[in-house]
Amino acid sequence: MAAPGSKVTGKDRVFWGVGIFMVVAYALIPVLWLVSLSLTPADELGGGGFWPDNPTLENYTGSETGVFQDDQFPAALKNSLGIALIATVLAVILATFAAYAIVRLDFPGKNLVMAGALAIAMFPQVSIIGPLFNMWRDLKLFDTWPGLIIPYMTFTLPLAIWTLSAFFREIPWDLDKAARIDGATPFQAFRKVIAPLAAPGMFTSAILVFIFAWNDFLFATSLTSTNRARTVPAAITFFTGSSQFTFPTGQIAAASVVVTIPIIVMVLIFQRRIVSGLTSGAVKG
Amino acid sequence: MAEIVLDKVSKQYGDGFAAVKEADFTIGDGEFFILVGPSGCGKSTLLNMIVGLEDITSGEMRVDGERVNDVDPKDRNMAMVFQSYAIYPHLTVRENMEFPLKLRKVPKDQMRQKVEEAARMLELTEHLDRKPGNLSGGQRQRVAMGRAIVREPAAFLMDEPLSNLDAKLRVQMRTTISKLQQRLGTTTVYVTHDQVEAMTLGDRVAVMRRGEVQQVASPRELYSHPANLFVAGFIGSPAMNLLPGTLDGSTLTLPMVELDLPESVTGRLVEGAGGEVIVGIRPENFEDASLVGDKEAPGATFTAHVDVIEWLGSELFAHFEVEGSAADTLTDLAADLEKVAIGRSGEDRAEVVARLDVTSDACEQADLELWLDARAVHLFDPDTGRTLLASPEGATTPG
Repeated sequence: MAAPGSKVTGKDRVFWGVGIFMVVAYALIPVLWLVSLSLTPADELGGGGFWPDNPTLENYTGSETGVFQDDQFPAALKNSLGIALIATVLAVILATFAAYAIVRLDFPGKNLVMAGALAIAMFPQVSIIGPLFNMWRDLKLFDTWPGLIIPYMTFTLPLAIWTLSAFFREIPWDLDKAARIDGATPFQAFRKVIAPLAAPGMFTSAILVFIFAWNDFLFATSLTSTNRARTVPAAITFFTGSSQFTFPTGQIAAASVVVTIPIIVMVLIFQRRIVSGLTSGAVKG
Repeated sequence: MAEIVLDKVSKQYGDGFAAVKEADFTIGDGEFFILVGPSGCGKSTLLNMIVGLEDITSGEMRVDGERVNDVDPKDRNMAMVFQSYAIYPHLTVRENMEFPLKLRKVPKDQMRQKVEEAARMLELTEHLDRKPGNLSGGQRQRVAMGRAIVREPAAFLMDEPLSNLDAKLRVQMRTTISKLQQRLGTTTVYVTHDQVEAMTLGDRVAVMRRGEVQQVASPRELYSHPANLFVAGFIGSPAMNLLPGTLDGSTLTLPMVELDLPESVTGRLVEGAGGEVIVGIRPENFEDASLVGDKEAPGATFTAHVDVIEWLGSELFAHFEVEGSAADTLTDLAADLEKVAIGRSGEDRAEVVARLDVTSDACEQADLELWLDARAVHLFDPDTGRTLLASPEGATTPG
């Protein structure tokens, strides 16, 4: 991990080894703890050990306490996946068109659009929850998928536009021109040449949008009321223990582990596509 | 195959800047036509207007007699090679060359055949399945050429295609392009800022400066009969020496010598020429006086103090200074020429370059007898910069 060319001494190795271990431990111990909790049977919860003595899957699949036995959780999982995916696709498509136009066209108010997008990203979301709640009820969007997709898309568009315009700026304009002269319509030039080259940017934005939509609690809890549209982060708060005196720690842990998996899969899939330097070779060099 | 006519074509940007002013010439079918000029002279803008990437503000452009001002670039059937090559990095060499054919819905087997033929012509066959990122600059350049030729377009447009190559490769590609054009016989418009490329490649050359076409002529005509001071200074290397002079009848007074102009020069003088003039002398029109064979040839001998000698094996350049400078009139011009076409070495002194025979025994920091060929002087109006000599009959090519 030392700078290239410098000699790696024993001291360096110890320093970096300890440093890396600390960072990894800091990041992973809570996750491991969560996994361990999800495998702990209810009567062992107060035991205090890191690993349960009798690990069990009853928090996942158990007939009385398993998260999948309740209709709440599977419905929420479906809502989460659907809403996050649709919001991601829409946000990335819209952001791609917007960013391309912003980078390639010279129009008055271009900087205003970019600044406005940034302002929206910085806007405190909690301040619009009240009005949005009332509006959504009037518009019959309350407790529906679109009711969540729209705010997710809106709040992630700025970030996606900024990310994508950085990618578009890297693509030489001569490529658009070459495609146009080669016989492509403006849309064909975009679809066949520019979009494939901006793919890493699209995947980067997609990950960001997906994570935002997947993790959101604020909108999910305020704008939903039933299993129709309630997503996992909101649904977890509605878990009940086996009696009114038990806190559903095991189920919450199990649900948390389950919702982490799609994120990991998503990042792993898209990370492969985020290859840097895809445009190398287009122009001189 | 196409004849491209530019009829008073102009380009004006929104801020009022006129990039191209009334370009008015015809590019013949199958001709290799060059647009040359210093950077910012509007040559690339003009090329982009021909291909349709820039709108034409006024005037008309016709391809084979049809007005194309408002035709979309994709429908003009022209192929362009960019300075940056602009090949598609996510496609292989083969896919790059297939791209324009696919858009035209050319049948698969025909497409394959055309691509392979072009690849053979450009020696790219073994690289067909590689991505551009793994190719050298020269190979990328050839891919860009290949993508242009597979289409069999009405015209090739090239925007400084060689300027990103190293010097050796550039000379090689210059020959390749020249051969390719002869073989295909396709109308070609080639933009460059390099006058050597312009002179070696072009059938005809249009010299541009500040958006205005200065002269459209064959390389030979440009060199021997430049229409104005700018063309005179831009074409030729080393550049033409420009000196102040006074013309009285057939007597031309130069800072270093008085010259009696022969009939072949005075006969071509435009009406009313006389008084203060700017005299242009190409370096090769000087010679070491002791080596001049034809003693009777019209000319004059003078003594110069040589400052620097540059010996290049096949040629020898002697630099010397003379009293009097045309620089004050010409600073404006010098700014555009980007090189010291007007050797300005101080107050009222001008530096002159003479190209001598290598057998000359000229030495640095010594006096040398030089002979100046009176038949080859160029005379320009100091106010307008225009030539004062009509070009001989028959040498003019119609613009």
